[in-house]
Amino acid sequence: MDVPSHYIQSYCTIRDRSIALNGTTWLKMDSSTTLADFLKSAYRQLDIDYPKFHKMDGLCKAIFIATELMTRDSGPYPSDTALIFSNRSSSYLSDNKHALGIFNTENATASPATFVYTLPNIALGEISIRHQLHSENVFFIFDRYSPEFLVPYTQAALDDKKLANAISGWTEISGHTCDLLLYYIGKSGSVPHTVAQLKRIYNEHE
Amino acid sequence: MSELTQELKAKIITQLNLEDLTVDDLDDHTPLFGDGLGLDSIDALELIVMLDKSYGIKLSDPKEGRKVFETVQTMADFIEANRK
Amino acid sequence: MKTDVFISGDCIISPLGMGSKLNFEQLLTGETAIAPVDDATLADHRIHAARIADHQWIGKIRNASGYTRLETLFILAIQQLIDAHSIPVDRRTLVLLSTTKGNVSLLHNPEAQFPENRIYLAEMAHAIQHYFGFANAPITISNACISGALALSVARQLLQYSDTYDQALVVGGDEISKFIVSGFEAFQALSDGRCRPFDRDRNGLNLGEAIAAAYVTKKATDDAVRIKAAASFNDANHISGPSRTGEGLYRSIREAMQLAGEPMLDFISAHGTATVYNDEMEAIALHRAGLSDTPLHSLKAYYGHTLGASGLLETILGIHSLRANRLIPSLGFQHTGTSKPLNLITQPTERPLGTFLKTASGFGGCNIAMIFEKV
Repeated sequence: MDVPSHYIQSYCTIRDRSIALNGTTWLKMDSSTTLADFLKSAYRQLDIDYPKFHKMDGLCKAIFIATELMTRDSGPYPSDTALIFSNRSSSYLSDNKHALGIFNTENATASPATFVYTLPNIALGEISIRHQLHSENVFFIFDRYSPEFLVPYTQAALDDKKLANAISGWTEISGHTCDLLLYYIGKSGSVPHTVAQLKRIYNEHE
Repeated sequence: MSELTQELKAKIITQLNLEDLTVDDLDDHTPLFGDGLGLDSIDALELIVMLDKSYGIKLSDPKEGRKVFETVQTMADFIEANRK
Repeated sequence: MKTDVFISGDCIISPLGMGSKLNFEQLLTGETAIAPVDDATLADHRIHAARIADHQWIGKIRNASGYTRLETLFILAIQQLIDAHSIPVDRRTLVLLSTTKGNVSLLHNPEAQFPENRIYLAEMAHAIQHYFGFANAPITISNACISGALALSVARQLLQYSDTYDQALVVGGDEISKFIVSGFEAFQALSDGRCRPFDRDRNGLNLGEAIAAAYVTKKATDDAVRIKAAASFNDANHISGPSRTGEGLYRSIREAMQLAGEPMLDFISAHGTATVYNDEMEAIALHRAGLSDTPLHSLKAYYGHTLGASGLLETILGIHSLRANRLIPSLGFQHTGTSKPLNLITQPTERPLGTFLKTASGFGGCNIAMIFEKV
């Protein structure tokens, strides 16, 4: 067996109204809580002062919270940490809001603060600003969580630029549901960066 | 006049998602951008939309915006002078 | 040992016509696709934009009624490439699509002819997969205005460092919709006439639509162009405003140049959207990288900003420029309008060309720089 070159150093899952860090529940709320209230509660629990959080859309907020939790576990992200994200619904929450605004027959409005979030990679920009990451970003759209593509691509991207670190994963937010797995990859650890391990981690959060 | 400034403060807070602020925290003369409230270019665009939708005033020159949006007071003065 | 990766075929569908050679020749005659558009389904007033005429293409594929306008255009471009290069549709072919908004025009649109689930980019990918019988579901990249160039870079990384694929089809496209027009308008980013990249009097961009497709291989054909290097960095500064220091673009250019072995560049194909702040940012980044004197163009005054297609569209035209040894002029430029002057190409000059740099920048603070050279 080859010795793996990269490992998963920490990971965060958000499934509906619960958040787990490295498999341990960090926040769990009643399933009747709205997504917005749930994400706001998570922000309050982080106990940080980052007013920009409130301007973000749901996708950015969920990603912000997950990356915040992982850095508490693994330490600050190096500035060249690559960001390789994916989901199915792209920026649906903001797309929906913008489209509702412009096709409103009574008072059609286009809000710049909504429109700017109608791109999924804005989330990568938000966490780059927060953690001062000057690095490679890419946002993929798949039909479903696809470690079979994500793992070999992430490995290729790391090998290409001889990078030690990446944050990668699946960040599906649509309507009221949330299905997120983000993981921080580094050169050491006990969980190898493999498709099998990523399937296991994804399925462990009920 | 002060009715308008109060109304503007409430609109600014909701429109720009300034969660942690209340109307009372906002002074009429606090700079909205830069070292004051720290609003950014997207907020400025959002304020332009607000002027149009709420007061029927169209502002198309961004340079003009910089002066108008200096403080809540300058905004109120501008609205008083231009609204139909 | 890493293998070299090449662009061995290409196709463009734009308002200037189908075929990249035809498009390239049109540019040399100064043809522009940007025209006044009066269409109430886009805006309640006149805009200046570059639109593909529906009557030329729409309905020209099998089972045409099952595909949206944008899907039809993607399919036509892919068909051209498959026919020209006998590209297999098996597991060894990676299909990468790049788009910022795909079929978003269907969302809440009372005039939409398709079910709303078609706005999901994976559904669009399925439709395209089904049409050709691709063994692999196409992967979509949605990374703002660098999507097209980034998709090329991702294809290169996968062909170079993973043995999963032998070749890739990289296809970028976006269409103009009310969704996009209203958003750019809210950003006060649209020009009131034809855009003027890097010019003193520039006042915004034009939206455009195009499909650009590239056939990416590990083996070089006679007229192939090598993807020499690619680098991408985030500004980590603001989600919509271009960086005042051009930090992310500067770093992207520096790293790409270093990876390519500090080549002499024959020209630069800039992003050049013609918004005040974007062009200024690019001028600063290029100045910092010591490239102010290199001949440079933006193609935005020919095609408008074609969003998810732009990086790929402009790369393909750069490749044709290399092959023909002709520099494409930067339409719309008259007077220096950036704090750091650049060397804008004003005439379709003929001279031996071997290497060029392509750059792109987008919302979210993303930037990319890629270097291409003749084989």
